[in-house]
Amino acid sequence: MIGKIREAAKRMLDDGTVRLFLGYGKNGLGDTVPVFLKHKEDVEALYWDETCRYNLTRYLTDRDVICLEEGPVGVIVKGCDQKSLKVLISEKQVERDEIRIVGVVCSGMKDDNEEILSKCGTCDSWNPDETFCDIVIGQTVERKIEEDEYSDVEEVEALDPAQREKLWGKYFDRCLRCYACRNVCPLCYCKECILEQNDPEWVPPSASKENNFYFHIIRAYHLTGRCTDCGECERACPVGIPLRTINRKMIKAVKDGFDFVAGKDPEARSPLTRFRRDDREDFIT
Amino acid sequence: MEKKLKIVGFLCNWCSYAGADLAGVSRFQYPADIRVIRVPCSGRVNPLFILKCFQEGADGVLVSGCHPGDCHYQEGNYYTRRRMMMLKDLFCFFGIDKRRFHISWVSASEGKKWADVVTAVVEDVGAALRGSEKQ
Repeated sequence: MIGKIREAAKRMLDDGTVRLFLGYGKNGLGDTVPVFLKHKEDVEALYWDETCRYNLTRYLTDRDVICLEEGPVGVIVKGCDQKSLKVLISEKQVERDEIRIVGVVCSGMKDDNEEILSKCGTCDSWNPDETFCDIVIGQTVERKIEEDEYSDVEEVEALDPAQREKLWGKYFDRCLRCYACRNVCPLCYCKECILEQNDPEWVPPSASKENNFYFHIIRAYHLTGRCTDCGECERACPVGIPLRTINRKMIKAVKDGFDFVAGKDPEARSPLTRFRRDDREDFIT
Repeated sequence: MEKKLKIVGFLCNWCSYAGADLAGVSRFQYPADIRVIRVPCSGRVNPLFILKCFQEGADGVLVSGCHPGDCHYQEGNYYTRRRMMMLKDLFCFFGIDKRRFHISWVSASEGKKWADVVTAVVEDVGAALRGSEKQ
């Protein structure tokens, strides 16, 4: 697999289809890190194994790192990363012709303890979409998708309101407000985030249980109808807040309310920017 | 006499605000626990406004606009409906009592309905607060 990835990167860099190639490599300590290649001689630095967890599409909107206007960029995506990319394209943050997409078939990523990531267990896109990617590398894998979806969300929903508040209070109490979850999110691309605005100050920057509550409401709400459950926020969180449960709650709400799943169609608009005249009304006083 | 509540009401200029005005002109009685903020359209209500209200100590929030189909700007309230639906869902998930956040449609001719809505909202918010004090 890695041979084919290197070969594809080499060919693209050589004939000038891309001026920069984003992939996975190893640092001196043997950890998997993102690598940015400019020369075809460097393709040996590329690497592929089940520790390539990062979502590289995050870098595409980071204008300090990549200027897409300067020429096409090649990027390696897994099935889950590809969903984020589709949302970025639908939101006009990335033009499809500014990038070359190398889809890699993934059979589940593993954490440092060699355990398969929880997001990979319920993943429905181990095989990247061939109609969307420029190249797909790897043999298509057959798999049955587990049907237990949203059990984590339902577990929380089964509690009564006071218990829910206590549960989230316990998690949010330890939030450091480091914003790693926001920084790592491929869809949090605002140049000036409202969390850093101080006039008006929507939520005070100091970490307290109450402020953190508002921060997490804002974070989750801004991803409503957009989040593709790539799980990067939860992976990046240094204090282990189950952010995916919150995101999945909103994914479920959007699915139930608007019959929409983000990251399937690069043409689709987010449900909160559209409406139907017969949307449900049962929550109106 | 119960303690007065602080409820923030976001009222659209064209329907609910006029409806509230009509309630006043018609001398319908309703509790004075609501503070009204006039907005051009219920679609102007950024969910951040609602969070800010709660953050600053509001006991409850009411967002009120034109009935679907009657929006002065044709479709503003349809967007509001979707946004508020999701926001209310998220509040519930985080354990914020859903009785503290209300959305209603009140037209310019529904003075009586406005009085009823406010009465119901004040009752609900009061009940939510009493519930949380008990624990």
